[in-house]
Amino acid sequence: MNLTLAYHPVEALRFDASTRLDGTTLDIDVDDLRGLLLEDEAFEDIAFEFVAPDEDCRAGPVFDIIEPRAKAASSSPDFPGILGPPLTAGMGTTHVLSGMAVTVLDEHAAGGSRGSIGRVLEMTGPAAEGSCYSKLHHLVVIPRMAPGRDGPAAQRAKRVAGLKAAVHLARAVASDAPGESRTFEPVDPGPPGRPGLPRVAYVGQIFSRQRRAELDEPVLYGHNTTGMLPVLLHPDEWLDGGVVTSYYTSMGGAETYLYQNHPIITELYRRHHAGELNFVGTVASIAGSDNTDRDRNCHAAAALVQWALKADAAVLTKYGGGVPHADLAETARLLETAGIRTSVMVSDVSRDRRVESALLFNFPELNAIVYGGGNDTRWQVPPAGRVIAATPAVGELLAGVRELGAMNVAGVTNQQGASRLRAVVY
Amino acid sequence: MRIVHYLNQFFGGIGGEEQAGSPLQEVEGAVGPGRLLEQTFGEGAAVVKTLVCGDNHAVEHQEELTAAVLEHVRGAEADLFVAGPCFDAGRYGMAAGALCSAVQTELGIPAVTAMHEENPGVDLHREGLYIVNSGKNAARMKEVVGRMAGLARKLAAGEAVGLPEEEGYLTRGLIRDRFVGKSSAERLVDMVLAKVQEQPFDTEMPVTSFQPVAKPRGVDDISKAKVMLITDGGLVPKGNPDNIEGMAATRWGAYDISGDDDLAGEDYEISHGGYDPRFVQADPDRLVPLDALRQLEKEGAVGEIHGEFLSTSGLSNPLSNTRRLGREMAEKVKREGVDAVILTST
Repeated sequence: MNLTLAYHPVEALRFDASTRLDGTTLDIDVDDLRGLLLEDEAFEDIAFEFVAPDEDCRAGPVFDIIEPRAKAASSSPDFPGILGPPLTAGMGTTHVLSGMAVTVLDEHAAGGSRGSIGRVLEMTGPAAEGSCYSKLHHLVVIPRMAPGRDGPAAQRAKRVAGLKAAVHLARAVASDAPGESRTFEPVDPGPPGRPGLPRVAYVGQIFSRQRRAELDEPVLYGHNTTGMLPVLLHPDEWLDGGVVTSYYTSMGGAETYLYQNHPIITELYRRHHAGELNFVGTVASIAGSDNTDRDRNCHAAAALVQWALKADAAVLTKYGGGVPHADLAETARLLETAGIRTSVMVSDVSRDRRVESALLFNFPELNAIVYGGGNDTRWQVPPAGRVIAATPAVGELLAGVRELGAMNVAGVTNQQGASRLRAVVY
Repeated sequence: MRIVHYLNQFFGGIGGEEQAGSPLQEVEGAVGPGRLLEQTFGEGAAVVKTLVCGDNHAVEHQEELTAAVLEHVRGAEADLFVAGPCFDAGRYGMAAGALCSAVQTELGIPAVTAMHEENPGVDLHREGLYIVNSGKNAARMKEVVGRMAGLARKLAAGEAVGLPEEEGYLTRGLIRDRFVGKSSAERLVDMVLAKVQEQPFDTEMPVTSFQPVAKPRGVDDISKAKVMLITDGGLVPKGNPDNIEGMAATRWGAYDISGDDDLAGEDYEISHGGYDPRFVQADPDRLVPLDALRQLEKEGAVGEIHGEFLSTSGLSNPLSNTRRLGREMAEKVKREGVDAVILTST
């Protein structure tokens, strides 16, 4: 496996009669794109808006954010298992429209702990500063579902539409010469290769069974993860469409964009290239629904890290809400017991801002903890100059927002490693 | 800036342990460490009053002392209250902590003290106060007073106070958010590399440790016991009459089951946002197993089922909250003469 990313920088979006990259301006034929997405009868209509970096604009609630990418000919499929057959991702060349994203809106917030505005795309002001998404151009996809299409059917349609739009845009540059290319140095659990360097693995949860996956909810190669055991993935499989986010993310969120640009995998790659460590591979795991399920998953994940990857060290992340901390901690504890050193990244669960409420586990060997903040960061925000939402009611709600919490801004808090907001003890 | 300073009998110059019983005395101007404090602050700050009290008197008459000190501080129109430094003097530390807390909360005037980390005053008051880390040794007086003055200046001016390692105070056990240069991914990899290479690293959250809860004595004869069902799975009667929050619940409820042999889904709802409630909604007995327990009651295997079950929602709830909920429930359990409780969670 040897993925090459061919970057085509985008610095402006423009409505046009055809979709093509003119210099660094992406011309988009939205009628053509709308026609493509409306092939799915779940939609009554779809509207598009362009948003520029730092623009006085708020859009939401965000369903997903995707980087436009398309595979070159004779490479692996685009988003295998969802848009194509579930063959191994990460092969060959992927064309990337860098500096932009396709952002799909929800018709209403998914509910749960984030309040009625859900997570928003905030493009300017102090709340936007902490998010990588405010630096991008966005093609905002605003769906209107056909009558009777709600729940999982609507979610599936929005998921597929976002990915299709992303591939469609990048397809326009598939025969252009890229501005820049990057080929990842091989990662291999096999040969020692790099004597003296610690062998480091990544263990990432991709789903939490706090809720049952919808039957056709694509997460891993189009599969909804039900019945799945932890599985070895090459890092390029994460970066190249093998994994997308679940419909619900909670506590910090996760977006497909940050699987494609996975902050932990790219950081491990960077250090692998720099000769600081030996990146030996990754394990995708899930958080269990009960103790039996949890033990089974944690032991299987730890065994893969120990026996298949032969790692000296592992970094672990969780997905979803509070309970997945237990799976994260138990997996790390098993690794530590096997002599594999770990660091773990957890969500901010301390609502009373006390250290005693900050962790959902207490294993003394888990003493390397990255703690994402978020629960007490709020900004007073002026009315947004431009509001983009799927319905007038939600638009009104977003326009009226005077205070935004860190948990409500996509990218400010994040479970994939992108956040720069941490909690400090005082 | 007008400062009122509290000292014990020793630092206040009255005498040693033999004077530990002396009552509160009021002295105009600065005494002992107060002079150093004044010097450190420089122009524009004065210790207008020094309050001196013996250590034994202070701990034995704490309420009375607190009221008197509050009165003095109010009367002196103070901008700042300073107590100590107390180093490792335990009674002094406890008094200084209590007085600083009272001045801060009752009068809204910033207060600073200093103690050795193991001073019993620290555990009692660390969360609410900025307590400068004084070490044990009074030879470090100058340095300690310097830190107290630096911190006090910021508090009096309403400026942001830095972290313990920056300002020299003892960790309060609280957390706050801060934006940092490195992403969590970079920090995560930094940390594991340091750990695997046996280099020093700083965890962002200390590992918590809790006192183990002692296992209670078993029920002598369960066939004669009164049994209660308690859940944190958020099962509540339709309409959620006590408005138990689905997350970080501050309330619990007691719900009548005296006439029921099992629980019907249509009578209940689930106020809990952290698990898939569909199975419980379909049959609440799967969370609060009244059906099985009634069977055991009929067979004589258990004595009696209490006529109510207790319920709250155990999602994302801070310990400060759950401690209170637990205590209130335990009081109810005792009041009802219950012998055994079955706790079910999700």
